Amino acid sequence: MPRHCLTSRIVLWTLLAVLSTAPALAHDPAIAITNPWARRAPGGHGHSQDANGAVYMTIANRGTAADAVVSATSDAAKVVELHEVRNEGGVMAMRPLERFVLPAGGTLEMKPGGYHVMLLGLTRDLHAGDTVKVTLTFEKAAPMTVEAPVR
Amino acid sequence: MARRSLAVLVMLALPFLAAAAPFRGGALDPPRPAPDFALQRPDGSQFRLSGHRGKVVVMSFGYTFCPDVCPTTLAEFAQIRARLGAAEKDVRFVFITVDPERDNPQRVRAYTEAFDRSFIGLTGSAEQLEVVRKAYGVTAHKRVVAGTSAAYLVDHSALIYVVDREGRLRLLFPFGTSVDDMTHDIRLLTGR
Repeated sequence: MPRHCLTSRIVLWTLLAVLSTAPALAHDPAIAITNPWARRAPGGHGHSQDANGAVYMTIANRGTAADAVVSATSDAAKVVELHEVRNEGGVMAMRPLERFVLPAGGTLEMKPGGYHVMLLGLTRDLHAGDTVKVTLTFEKAAPMTVEAPVR
Repeated sequence: MARRSLAVLVMLALPFLAAAAPFRGGALDPPRPAPDFALQRPDGSQFRLSGHRGKVVVMSFGYTFCPDVCPTTLAEFAQIRARLGAAEKDVRFVFITVDPERDNPQRVRAYTEAFDRSFIGLTGSAEQLEVVRKAYGVTAHKRVVAGTSAAYLVDHSALIYVVDREGRLRLLFPFGTSVDDMTHDIRLLTGR
């Protein structure tokens, strides 16, 4: 085989090998997550018993099939749940949800007083300027990890 | 008698809260005496509302297990305080727990101090706290809910109460009132 052919084959396979070990922050083309952020909170040891936190973000499902967030984990809490706050005539009622539904072509906006990812049992204080990692598991899309700055 | 009628007024007024110039938020017109109360600060000393004449007292009711609504209110208090500038000297921000089962003084202090060290977190016995809630028309219900690792949640009303320097209840801000509007109105009450 001519030398230049062999070289380009080696380059091609090396490139493929490198690309296949893509970083853990997987990206699914159908799901776009923007504006992640977390609320500051006391937590950890020495300050108070288990404290909780909230993470917000906007999730757009640009695909043609409905999807859903079915669970989440975080580096800052032992337990992570999906929650919604409903304003029932001035009374704020927070309830866990099994999933955040993402209609095809739809957007889920998490914000204070509404949907949020709840961190139960913070393992560290969340100070403004810190970063919280949250990994979301979807019904269809590959898992995604976001980094949420604390405000 | 006066206490009960204030609570009833708050409950009835909720759907009809309207801006009354010069205020942008819901103003009580005419103002009513704010029901007095005495609760416990984290350091164990007593906080009596009537001991704060000359200051504008901004009050919220919530619980430290709450990750969303209550921290949002405290974050807004911090923003209001920053925007008030010099006028903040005449304002006190108070957080009163609706969850005495879990919220001991240390827990309440850690919670409020995450937002501002000047904020006053108050606890008390279940009975004392219920009296204050009744006086101000605050709803709080403990809920055991399936599907969460939380032992229980507390549904609660999220009005912010503002008492003027003469000890009268002047303003009620529903959750979602803008920081701009709240700052504007509180500043008016400071007279600065």
